[in-house]
Amino acid sequence: MNRKLSNIILSVVYPLMIKPIRLLPGYFIVIAGIITANGAVVSAATSPERVQVTGEIIDTWCYVTEIMGDAQGTAHHLCAVWCAIGGIPVSILGEDGQIYMVLKVESEDTNVANPTIVNIQTHKVTVDGDLYERDGVKYLFVNQVADDQGVVNLNHEDYGIIPFGK
Amino acid sequence: MKILFKSLITASFFVIGLATSSFAANEWGIDGEEAKELDGTVVDLACELSGNCPDNCGAGKRQLGLLLKDGTLYPVVKGGSNFAGGTEELIEQCGKSVHVDGLLITDPLMTIYFVQRIRSEETGEWSKTNQWGKNWKAANPGKKLGRWFREDPRVAKIVDESGKLGIPGLVYEEE
Repeated sequence: MNRKLSNIILSVVYPLMIKPIRLLPGYFIVIAGIITANGAVVSAATSPERVQVTGEIIDTWCYVTEIMGDAQGTAHHLCAVWCAIGGIPVSILGEDGQIYMVLKVESEDTNVANPTIVNIQTHKVTVDGDLYERDGVKYLFVNQVADDQGVVNLNHEDYGIIPFGK
Repeated sequence: MKILFKSLITASFFVIGLATSSFAANEWGIDGEEAKELDGTVVDLACELSGNCPDNCGAGKRQLGLLLKDGTLYPVVKGGSNFAGGTEELIEQCGKSVHVDGLLITDPLMTIYFVQRIRSEETGEWSKTNQWGKNWKAANPGKKLGRWFREDPRVAKIVDESGKLGIPGLVYEEE
C-alpha cells in the first residue's frame, strides 16, 4: 500500500478512533454570551451537551496540580480516596485526555465526599451524562454509569504507593 | 555590637517571614498558579449550572464556587486542611459576597481555586481556611488531625474492603 493511500485511510479512520466522547442524538449545545455595556463578555448559562465519557475516576486537585506525579492508577488510589473523603471534587480523566469534574452521579443529589463517588475512585468507567462547559472547566452530571471495570491501571508496580510509600 | 546587629538581622527575617505567611497566599510552585485575592459570591456549582438548587447550597454536601461580578465562575476545589476541599470553608457564606485569598491555578485542562484565607466583612480580619479540620476534630475526638487520612473511619472501611490499591487482595510489597 503506498503512502498516499495510507494517509487517505488514516484521515478517515483516525478521527473516529480518537473521539471517545460520542454525541447522543437529539441534543445540541447552545453557547451564549452577553456583551455588557463596557464590552466585556459575560458567560451565560449554557445548555448541556449529552455525552458519553470513558475514563478513570481521579482526584481533581492532585491531577491538575501534578503535586503527586501523574496521580492515576493503583499508585495514587489511596491518596485519591483521602481527597474524595476530604471533599475535593472527583473528576473523570477521559480517554481523550480531557478532565470532567463530576457534580452528580445518577440519583445522588450531593457531590462532596459522596459514598457512591468515593467508592469508585480509580475505577475505569463509561458514563452517560450532561456536560456543561464554563470558564475553562468541564462539569459532568452523570446520568448513568454504563460500565464499571473497576481498577485496571496497575501502575503501583512502577511507582509504589504515592505519597508516603505505604 | 556585632551580636546586636546579628540579632536585628535575624529578627527582621523573622518579621518578614511572619508577614509573608500572614498576609499573602502561600505559593506552592504549581505550574499555572497565581496568588490571587478574589471578590465573589459563594455559589453551589451544580445549582449555578443546572438550576437544581437545594437550600443553603446543599448544606456542605455540594461543591462550591466563586461567581465573580463579571460572570466568571471558579470552582473552589481545595481548602487549608491537608487532602481536603473548600466547601466547609465557604458554606457559611452561601449566597453572600466574600473576599478571599489563595491560589488561582490556570491549567489548559481546568481552572481551579485553592482558598487559603477569608476576610471578614465586619472586621476586615483574615482567617485561615481550617474549618474542615475543626469539624473533623470535633467529629473524631481523641484522634490526631495531622493523621486524619490514616485515622478516619471512612478511609479505614474502604481500605479494609478493597485494600490500599483499590483491588481486594492485591498488596504492594515494598522492595
